Order: sequence, then structure tokens, then C-alpha cells
Amino acid sequence: MTDIRATAADAETPEAVLDIPANPPRRALGLHREIDRVWRNAPGWWGHVTAVNHTSLGLRFMATALVFFAIGGILAMLIRAQLATHEGAFLDTELYNQIFTMHGSIMMFLFAIPMLEGMGIYMLPKMLGTRDMAFPRLTALGYWCFLFGGLIMLTALFFGVAPRDGWFMYTPLSSAEYSPGINADVWLLGVTFVEISAIAAAVEITVTILRQRAPGMKLTEMPLFAWYMLGTVAMMLVGFPPLILASVLLEIERAFGWPFFDVARGGDPLLWQHLFWLFGHPEVYIIFLPAAGAISTIIPVMCRTTIMGYGAIVAAVVALVFLSFGLWVHHMFTVGIPHMALAFFSAASVLVAVPTAVQVFAWIGTMWKGRPQLKLPMLYILGFFLTFVMGGLTGVMLAIVPFNWQAHDTAFVTAHLHYVLIGGFVFPILAAAAYWMPQITGRVRVRGLGEAAFWTILVGFHGTFFIMHLTGLLGMRRRIDVYPENPEWVWLNLTSSIFGFVMAIGFGLFLLDLVLQARLGQRSPRNPWRAPGLDWSLRLPAPSYNFASLPGPRHLAGGDQVALSLSRGQGLLPGAPRGTRELLVTGIGDARPDHVAILPGNSHLPLRLSASIGLFVLFMLAGLYWLTLPALALVAVLIWVWGRGMAWGADLPPIEVAPGMTLPVHVHRRKTLAYTGAICLLVANGTFFATLLFGVAFLHVVAPGWPAPPMGNEDLGSASLVAGAVVALGLGTVIARLAERARLAGHAVSGPAVAGLMVNFLALGLIAYLAATAMDDPTRHARDALRGVLAGYIALHALVVSGFAAFAVDQWRRGELTPRRAGCLPVWRLWQDYSAAVALITAAVVILQGAGG
Amino acid sequence: MKRFAPLAVPLLLAGCDGPASTLAPAGPVAAEIAWLWWAMLAGAAAISLLVGVMIAMSFGPPRETSTRRWTHGWGLGFSLVVLTTLLGAGLWVGERILPRDDGAVEVRAHAFMWGWHFTQPGEGDNMVETDGTLYVPVGQPIDVIVTAEDVIHSFWVPQLAGKMDAIPGRENVMRFQVDSPGTYRGLCAEFCGLGHAGMLFDLVAYEPGDLPEALLPNEPAEEGAND
Amino acid sequence: MTWADWSTRFLALSLAGPMIWAITFSAVYGLHGIGCALAWPEVDLAFLSLHRLAMLAAWGVGLLACGLLLAWLPAGARMRVWLPRAGGWVGLGATFFTLFPVIVTTSC
Ligand code: HEM
Ligand SMILES: [Cu+2]
Ligand SMILES: [Cu+2]
Repeated sequence: MTDIRATAADAETPEAVLDIPANPPRRALGLHREIDRVWRNAPGWWGHVTAVNHTSLGLRFMATALVFFAIGGILAMLIRAQLATHEGAFLDTELYNQIFTMHGSIMMFLFAIPMLEGMGIYMLPKMLGTRDMAFPRLTALGYWCFLFGGLIMLTALFFGVAPRDGWFMYTPLSSAEYSPGINADVWLLGVTFVEISAIAAAVEITVTILRQRAPGMKLTEMPLFAWYMLGTVAMMLVGFPPLILASVLLEIERAFGWPFFDVARGGDPLLWQHLFWLFGHPEVYIIFLPAAGAISTIIPVMCRTTIMGYGAIVAAVVALVFLSFGLWVHHMFTVGIPHMALAFFSAASVLVAVPTAVQVFAWIGTMWKGRPQLKLPMLYILGFFLTFVMGGLTGVMLAIVPFNWQAHDTAFVTAHLHYVLIGGFVFPILAAAAYWMPQITGRVRVRGLGEAAFWTILVGFHGTFFIMHLTGLLGMRRRIDVYPENPEWVWLNLTSSIFGFVMAIGFGLFLLDLVLQARLGQRSPRNPWRAPGLDWSLRLPAPSYNFASLPGPRHLAGGDQVALSLSRGQGLLPGAPRGTRELLVTGIGDARPDHVAILPGNSHLPLRLSASIGLFVLFMLAGLYWLTLPALALVAVLIWVWGRGMAWGADLPPIEVAPGMTLPVHVHRRKTLAYTGAICLLVANGTFFATLLFGVAFLHVVAPGWPAPPMGNEDLGSASLVAGAVVALGLGTVIARLAERARLAGHAVSGPAVAGLMVNFLALGLIAYLAATAMDDPTRHARDALRGVLAGYIALHALVVSGFAAFAVDQWRRGELTPRRAGCLPVWRLWQDYSAAVALITAAVVILQGAGG
Repeated sequence: MKRFAPLAVPLLLAGCDGPASTLAPAGPVAAEIAWLWWAMLAGAAAISLLVGVMIAMSFGPPRETSTRRWTHGWGLGFSLVVLTTLLGAGLWVGERILPRDDGAVEVRAHAFMWGWHFTQPGEGDNMVETDGTLYVPVGQPIDVIVTAEDVIHSFWVPQLAGKMDAIPGRENVMRFQVDSPGTYRGLCAEFCGLGHAGMLFDLVAYEPGDLPEALLPNEPAEEGAND
Repeated sequence: MTWADWSTRFLALSLAGPMIWAITFSAVYGLHGIGCALAWPEVDLAFLSLHRLAMLAAWGVGLLACGLLLAWLPAGARMRVWLPRAGGWVGLGATFFTLFPVIVTTSC
């Protein structure tokens, strides 16, 4: 047995060195033509629709996010114009409320998150030395969901029915009673639609970082940016489910009257706040971490040295990832929670500044160690330091409970949050743009304009927001449109507004700079910053396939020589001789080559799938609830088609990736990229379920309207229905294993697969019967509503695993399951195990709750 | 901006006053918090300056510097010392301004869209209900019980104390005390829809012996006594 | 992804310390809420209320777990060995710092 502490079994001996011989050199141009033909997008308009390539989609994510930034910025200018004087006078309150709500929501959900996703999607494969993300079609699906969700919200704004309850949508203000009309539904459904892309991006970025690094790029030595992104996506997998859950619950309450937040029927508006901020605070770090990753990458290059304290920074990221989930209550210091609970969260909020400080000082130490050069990216980084440090300090102030009681919900908070978001995200993104633009455009910038933009933005920003701290302390609340009684705030607000327009001009200059660079810039040399790393070993602008041959252990340092030898095919898996998109899948730790994955090519399926989800959203918005069912059926069918695209009907010969090194194709591996992806998705799913259980416990213990009214039909009959469903799903886990065993032994898989289908259907039927006959009216009390949701959750899982079993039957019929090809069986087993586990836990919770009154 | 700095300082100091200013405290709770703020401001300014100097000093030729000094010394050590001190001060102030069982005057503030309904002691044990104005005696701790009719609101008198949210289904209690008689500006601090900006109230503080007219019995208008 | 690959152990061990913090923090916060709902502060045991005792016990278990983790983990400068220990320290420090209000503040 291995000692599980032994992460360095070879602690004394030098770590095993991986060496892979070079492929023979070829002509670079010929190789380029061969591989580009396979990887490039289809020509013309259609090509944009079917593109799945990470470079195209990463750019598109970022460009779309930039458009939303501009729209959010215009809304900000409207806000500032309105607040410039105390009478306001030009927007009415209804419109003003829509505008600030949309400003906040657009900036957070349609600018910041997609921007960082786009940055990760665009950069990571290039930095890690691979050709694409793990799931190219999923990248595209994420993009379309983001675009359609965003468009729905914009359309609502255009027609004057945009959300208007603030970006955190506190209920009961956002409930059906106080927000009739579709405004709130637009937010709930639109944001949830957009968050599909967040979950998709999180899953595939995790898999890409863990399993697609260049051979020999150890986990413990990968670029810091990858560590930051890994932390970010881990937080997204755990942080977004609470928001999705909260939105789903509120939408159900609004649409069908099931109470979750309504006090009169056992709900509690505080549940919304807990769920929202359980997402909302980590969100801030989700936005900050990728930006910090960019800073950790750029500073050493600008200072001509290496980063200081790699290990300490990784430890700080780990600490941030965890601690940021223990702070959410600092947004709720005034809701009447006892002082001790506030003190826990106050302490945690203060403590989270420590890992941040470790990073900031490591960066400053790096600058001491090297020789900082004041190039444009460095200017933006100085802007970041100035702004972010101040934002961090006001953040610590707000973590102090008594002060928070005064500053909460005032312009002080508005100032703080913009110092953090613009300081901690926008400035680093601008630095990153200045730094990586040559890679995107293949050109260098026109001199001078960038610097002018920087100074205008910096002066405009601080001019706008610095005095807003004072405005807030003088009592100005956030989210007010007029302040006729407080003329003493006018000079402050007027100053803020004027500088706000200065900042807007700065962003305009920045945009102009980008356009000029793309149009007029001179061709950039291959590595304009003389930076290390694989991201600068590409041809510029970055080609569709990134690397004509993949980097191996010999190439990890990057640089010109490496670039040359890779483009000549001397790396691994050169070209595309088989006409398929191929890349290397490696081990998580040492990145030893494991197998070759063949990726799907251009496809319009992502567009169709997201459009059908969009159809569902639109029917929900229109209140045509019955029509959502066919839309969901369409979604299910398309998911099936998606799965068919991953199935293989024939064995594939192993591939020689380098002289003497032959690897199998993913079809013949059990733990494929898709398998790791399924685990990541289950982590997010498990968090969703855990948060739902938190909701049950929270309402039971804390909500005023309890104990719940007696249950109508708590008898042996309904208990045995529940038990039956649990047992059926449990049987499914045995059957899924039998199916794999049968496959390996070369026996027929049809028997177990059909049996699996039957038990899962049985579970589904039992739950449906239970819901139809024995469950209390879910509109009566929160307990009954939550039970309804739990039953629905289990039923949905029974449906999913039925789908897997049916898929297995189909694969068997087509002869796709053989001893050498596992098909969907491994992933079915994962989902079956998960479904059985959550069913069991749900049953236990329901019984416990019944016993506890 | 820089050019106007000398001009801005006196303006800033004069600017701390104002009917809704947390920096012009009129009671011990707000005064403690204001004190906390000034201390934190000084600390934050010092730290910003320190970081600024460090960054400025980094420009120049490369030099030998110890990693541990940055990550452990400054990153962990320095920040933990500062933060622990601050947290201690915050918890201490927080404990001191908490409501406790000591027979404080109890008043009720009931928020609705968009206004305030108050219940406060009048003559003797008489409770008097008023709309839009809360009357409290000076020099005594007051516990205000904050409730809501419809959506979430928040009770805030910036010169006297922090906020307390008014949440449907809950009774939240907050303590404050007024030093001298007068009228203070009260606001709803939690966004509550169309009427939020205008959801103001007056807090009138009176000498205990000198009951305002609105609290006296047999008033003909809106106020009525009840038990 | 098996235990045989050092990376899985490495990731799991590195997250162990912060995970102990997360569990302890949730447990104490949960006990705080439940205690306030069930009037545990009124239940006096010798020196403490039942409420404070329950929270202190949970806190102590968390601190102990982090301490044991640190004692058990080997030390070394290489990242694979260093990061798990750093994680242990993060766990210990965070558990101590975020929950020490258990001893100093008013409970409900
Ligand atoms: C372009 C310059 C920007 C300006 C001038 C600006 C201005 C403002 C103002 C004046 C408010 C407060 C409205 C009020 O409640 O009284 C506000 C709110 C907000 N801003 Fe910005 N903002 C800018 C950029 C950003 C960015 C880049 C982000 C995020 C990445 C952001 C996120 C938010 C959020 C979340 C709110 C809160 C909205 C709410 O209360 O529901 N803003 N902004
Ligand atoms: Cu927060
Ligand atoms: Cu309000």
C-alpha cells in the first residue's frame, strides 16, 4: 500500500525526467497548410455559426463582453448625468431603477464573467501547449447561451421592461406581488441562461488545465495563470449553483406560487439573501483571480525577471478560493443577525485580505528583484496597484461591523466596489490587452494613444469615485435618483459626474487604440516582449491550430528556437495526417502523455441547442408554461444528438506521436476528457443539491412561519413509494456495473442496459405517482414547496439516468460497445451513482424533517 | 485634480457637516463609529503611502532581495498584525453599542411602501402612534424595534447610529441615544422601489421633562393613544 | 485519476487544511443558528452555556484536526510536499482566526 502522504515518493531522488525524441523536421509552410485545412473555421458567414475553435470563440467572448461593457458604460453615464444635480430631472424613477439595475447586472454578468471566460478560453490552450479546449462544442454552446441571454436582457431594456430591483434582486421586492410584470423574470431567466455558459466554461477549463498540459509540464510548475484559472473555475463550479438555485426557486415562486421567500407561508426573504451572496461574494474573487493571473504573468516580463514566491502565490490562491466562501454574510450585516455570527464573518472578511496581501507584496518584491520598464502594460499595472490597494483597504473597513452599519447601502459602498472591480479587474484587463494584443492582431500599437488613454482613464476614475467615499459618509444612499433635500451633496456629485465623462473619453481612446492597432499597426515580431512561455511561441496572429506540432518536455521554455522547431513539426503529433483534430491528453500530475483525443469539428449543433434552450426561456417569459414542455423535449433530443456525436462505431489504430512513442486514441480509454468533465459537472450539481438542503435546513430552523401545518398523507403508502424509488435507483448502480463487466467480458450489454432502463423508469414512475397522489399542495407552505422541488430534482435525475441507459441500449444495438470501447457506460455509472446517492439523502432528509416536526 | 488639493481640504472639513452626515455624530453610537472611521482612514492612508513608496523604490536596477521577507514578512506578518488590531477594535465597539436588557426606552418603527409608522411612549405608560416622525427623549438609550409591512426597508438616522433593516416577518432591534434636543434626518436605506428616494422621516429628540405636543393626550389629529 | 498518481494525493492533501476550516466554520455557524433557535444560551452548564460549549467543542475539534494534519504531513521544500503543509497552515490559521469570536462576543 502506498502511503497517501507520499506526494514525493522520490523526494530524495531527482524527479523522473520525461524525454520524448523529436520528430523529423518538415517544411513549415506545407505543414501549416495541412493542419490549417483541418482546424480552420468553415468559410464565410456559415463559418461563424459553426465555429468551435477556442481562438475564434475566445475572441468572440471577449469582443461581445466589450460591447456589453460599452452598453453598461453608457448606462453608467446616464446614471451620472442624473445624479449630477439634486433634482435629477431627466430620467423618471422607474427608468432610473431599470438603468442602475441593468448597469450592475450587465457589468457583472455580461461583461466581467464572459470577459474572463473568454480570456481563459483564448489563452489557456496557448499557454499550456495544446490545440483547443477539451470540449470545443461546449465552448460554442456557452457562447450562444451568453449571447442569447444577454440579448433577451437588452431587448427588455429597449422596450422598457428591464429588471428594476437592483442587481441583487432582493425579494419580496422582486416577488410577483411587488414586481408584477416580466421585469424580474427577465433577470431570473436571462441571468440563469447566461450562467449555463459559466458552468460550461468552468467544466472545460478545469479539464483542459488538468489534462491537456504539454507533456512534462508538471502541475507544480505550470504557469501561474493556469493556477489562477484553476482556482477561478473551481470557484465557479461551487459558486454559481447557489445563484442558479436561488433564481430557479424565485422563478417558481413567481410563476407557480410555491412559497420559498414568502414569510406568510413559511418562506423567508433572508434565504434569498443567503443564496445570492453565497454566490455573490465568491463572484468578486472569480472576477479578480484571472486578472491577478494576468498580473502575475505580465509583471515578471515587464521587469525582466521571474516571479517571486511561486509557491506562496499558489498557496494564496488556494486560501482565497476557500476563504471567499466564508464571507458572504458581510453583505448582510444589517439584517439583524446576532453579533457573534457577524463576528465570524467579519473575521473571515478581514482574514481574506491576508492572501491578497501576500500576492501584492510578492508582486512588489518581483519588481524589486527585476528592473521595471514603464511600458504600457506596466502603466496599467501601476494603475491597478494604486486603485486596488485603496479598494482593498476600504473593503477591510467595510468588514468592520459597526462601520459597515453606517456605510452599508451608501455611495461609500458604490465607491468601494468600483475601486475593487475597476482596480482589480478592468485595469488588469487593460494591461492584458496591451500585452497580448500583438498575438491577436499580429501587429504592434501606434505609439502615444495608449498612454493618453491610460492617463485619462486613471484621472477620470479617481476623480469620479474617490470623493464618492465622502458622498456616502455624508449620508447619500445608493440607488436614489434625486436628493432634493440635500443640496450639500451637489458639488460632490457634480464633480463625480464630470470626471465620469472624462473616464468615458478614456475608454473611447482605448477602443480607438485597439482599432488603429488592428488596422494600421506594423507587423509585430513573433515575441515582441521577449517573454518566456509557450503563448509567445506561436506564429502571429495565432493560427487556428496553435501549434503545428505539440510542444514536449524539450520545448517548455518557449522562445524563438522552440517556435521554429514546433512549426517545422519537430514536436509531437505533427500536422493532421489523418484529417482529424487531434491533441494529446496527459496525466494530471507529471503530464505524461496518456492518449490522443480526437476532437469534434465545426458544428451548428451548439447553436441549435442553445436556441432551443432560448425557446424554453421565451415561453417561460411569456407565461406559456405548457409550451415549455415541447421546448424541453427538443432540448433533450438535441442533447441525445450531441451524445451521438461522441460515439464511435469502429476501432481506431494507435497513433505514433513521436519516434518510438505510440499512444491509443481516446475511444479506447475509459477515463477520457469527457469522463473528467462529467466529474466536474457533478461537483457543480452536488453543490446545487447541497445548497438546496441548506435551504431546507435554513427555513426549518430560522424562518418565522414554522412549524409547518401537518402533512396530509404521511402514511406507509407514501413512505414505501419513496423507499421504492431509492431502491430502484440503487439497483441501477449495480446494473451499471454489471453492464461494464459484461462489456469487458465480451457478453451482451443489452441485458443490463435494458434492466437499467427499467429500474430507472420505475423510479421515475414511483416519484410521479407520489407527486400525483400523496404530496401536499406545494403552494401551501414552504416545506411542501421544498419537497416538491426535491421530488422534481430526483425525478429529473431518474430521467437523466434513464437517458443514459437508453443510450447504452442504442450503442449496443449499433455495436459500439466492445471490450475495447466503453462508450457511454463509464459516465452512465457516475451519474447513476450520484442519482442514487442524492435520492437516498433526500429520503433521509424528508424522514428526519418529519420526525423533527 | 492635484492643483485643487489645497482648496479641497477646508472644503472637505466644512463638508463633514450636513443633516445626514455620519461624520457629524449627535449621539454616542454614531460618535464611536465616527471615531472608528477616522482611525481607519489614518491607517489606510499610511498603508497606501507605504505601498506607494515600496513601488516607487522598486524602479531602478535589479537587486538581491529575500523572498521570505516579502511573502512572509510583509504579506503574512505585517498584514496580520494590522488586521488583528483592527478586528479587535471593531468587535469591541460592536459589543459596546449592542442593545441589552437594561430598561432602555422602547420604540417601534414600522416601515411600509413608502413611509414610516412609529409607536413611542408618551405621557406615563401611554404609547403614542405617529406617522413620519419619531419622538424620543434625549440622554437615554433607545431601543428601536424595526418591522416591515411589505418589502425590505431599512431604518437609518445617520447622525445617531448605523442601519437596521426592516424585514417582513422579523423584529429587529437596534440601539441609539441622542445627545441634544433637535430634529434629525431619518432615511430608508434599503432600496424598496419607486418611492425609495423619498422615504424619509424626522426624528425629534426632546428633553424628558418637555414632551412635544404630538405626544400629549387628546390630540385631535392623526395621533391616537392606545394601550 | 487514482491514488497511485501523486497528483491526486497532492491535490487532496493541499485542500485538506482549508477543507477542515470550511467544515469547522460551517459547523460552528450552524450550531450558532440552531442554538439561538432552540434557546441553548439559557441552558447553563457549570461555567458555560450549552450553546457556547457546543461551539467551543466544534472549534476545538477543528483546531485539533488541523494540528494533527500538520504533525502528520512531511516537511520539505519541494512544491509537492510544501503546498500540502501550507494548506495545513492556512486551515489552522483560518480556523483560529475566523472562529475566535466564539470566546469574545455575545452569542444571540
Ligand atoms: C465605466 C465606468 C463606471 C461608472 C461611471 C459607474 C457608475 C456607477 C454608479 C454611479 C453606480 C451607482 C448607482 C447607484 O446605486 O446610485 C454604479 C453601480 C454599480 N456598478 Fe458601476 N460604474 C462603472 C463601471 C462599472 C464596472 C466596470 C462594474 C463591474 C465590473 C460596475 C458594477 C456596478 C455594480 C454591480 C453596481 C451596483 C448596481 C446596483 O446597485 O444594483 N460598474 N455604477
Ligand atoms: Cu462580499
Ligand atoms: Cu427604501
